[in-house]
Amino acid sequence: MDEGVIACRGLSRSFGSHQALSGLDLTVPRGSVFGFLGPNGAGKTTTVRLLVGLLAPTAGSVAVLGLDPVAHGGQVRARCGVMLDQVGVYDRLTAQQNLEFAARVARLPPRVARERVEALLHRVELWDRRHDHVSGFSKGMRQKLGLARALIAEPDLLILDEPTAGLDPANIVMVRDLLLSLAEESLSVFLCTHLLAEAQRICDTVGILQAGRLLAVGAPGQIGQQGLPAARMVLSGADGRGIRLPAGAALAPLSGGEWRVTMDDAADIEGVVAALVQAGVGVRAVIPEAVSLEETYLKLVGGDGPA
Amino acid sequence: MTVLRDWGTMIHKEILESFGHRRFLAVFALAALLTGVLPALSLAHAHSHALGGDLTLFRAIYVLLAAVIVVAQTAPDLVLHERVGRTLDYLLTTRLPDAAIFGSKLVVAAGSGYAAAVLALGVQLVLAALLGHSGWSWLFLALPIGRVAVFGITAGLTVYLAVVGTFVALRIGEQRTAYMATMLSVGVLIAPFALGWLTLTLTATWMSQAALVFGAVAVALALVGLGLLRRERVVLYLQD
Repeated sequence: MDEGVIACRGLSRSFGSHQALSGLDLTVPRGSVFGFLGPNGAGKTTTVRLLVGLLAPTAGSVAVLGLDPVAHGGQVRARCGVMLDQVGVYDRLTAQQNLEFAARVARLPPRVARERVEALLHRVELWDRRHDHVSGFSKGMRQKLGLARALIAEPDLLILDEPTAGLDPANIVMVRDLLLSLAEESLSVFLCTHLLAEAQRICDTVGILQAGRLLAVGAPGQIGQQGLPAARMVLSGADGRGIRLPAGAALAPLSGGEWRVTMDDAADIEGVVAALVQAGVGVRAVIPEAVSLEETYLKLVGGDGPA
Repeated sequence: MTVLRDWGTMIHKEILESFGHRRFLAVFALAALLTGVLPALSLAHAHSHALGGDLTLFRAIYVLLAAVIVVAQTAPDLVLHERVGRTLDYLLTTRLPDAAIFGSKLVVAAGSGYAAAVLALGVQLVLAALLGHSGWSWLFLALPIGRVAVFGITAGLTVYLAVVGTFVALRIGEQRTAYMATMLSVGVLIAPFALGWLTLTLTATWMSQAALVFGAVAVALALVGLGLLRRERVVLYLQD
């Protein structure tokens, strides 16, 4: 049975009395892009450190590519490309030297290393700056170099912590397109991000973490709705108040004569419309409502958005 | 073989970075030049002959000083610039073994100190030749204890300071403080003599034994240190 590239069972980590991560149960399927969302201090970085064996769990277990990262840290790290939130690139080296060093760390044969360094510098649009010292690079260029470095060993799993942090819109699009192309190549990606719109576009599955607890996991368009589809309705003749609706359906007024209906099942919409018509209310329009990831996130986390 | 390759990768990177760094080059060159030139300026040829071998031996201290200056600067810097630039976090996420990450820093810091000492010695030799002295005999290298002091004690001293500088930099995140703390650690070596627990004896036997014991202690310190530097511990240090 495929356990997925990441399998966490009751994974917990505390630092003294502070519980950074609590009972994380998570499976990331092979070849998927998993988005890990949460505010600052939610436990995302602790999770990343646990995944690559930099920290040992205080309870529970974690398997990455079928291996225990604590017992087989070297093997796990050899097969993972990691880019941390504050990407550390060597200022005293050139862009090319940074990637050549990463290639040597990955023990690539010299010819393969040369080809891959060149291909990646082209891919992240840094080829023309390859001989420049990184000290003169903008944050965006560093992020791109960090991403190229994470890809140098052609990893089985890519772990990215805020890869678009600090990037301008053009570079965000570049990174997003790169991630989308990696997803098309069936590379498994574990992506910690604060850009909900990007997560919605890139990720197959997202998980929302707060205060060390996983609040919800699911597809970006469905997460957190607990199976409750919704629609907006434009009514005429009367309003929806006091009308007996099928079990599991509820109406709430919106502005401009619109109402919002939530249901246990999308198929119940016919029963809702029938009940309204029977009560003499005209139904002029039914607009299925897709709940955005941002709405779900804010509903679950209850804050101002992820950091 | 793969272990050696990992060490080689890291050592190559450290050398590339160090020698591509203007401040490192300046400290290295200044330390070697000053400690190479100062003995010739401070002690006239005639005086050294008049005062005998002890004063000739005194010049060996300049060579040790070159090593101290360079290692005390380099060892903390190799760690601190990785901490500040967050590249240490990157290294920890790679397949590199813990010992290669930190051991390479010890090797390069100690090696650069030793190289500075040898360069200072070379400058002294050149100056001796240029000033028309008797060259070899003008220097402490003519004496067995001089050779032990300059090659043996310097080796132990560079390893000791590299270990101290690396550990200090992991705990102290500020360059100047880490540098001062590393320099002050030389005082720990002087303390047993200052307190009268040990007596410095200028004989070849005593100096050779002292160099061996000091070298063994320094290497043991390095091995214990590398054994203690586990990834999780370093992550927790950095997190603090």
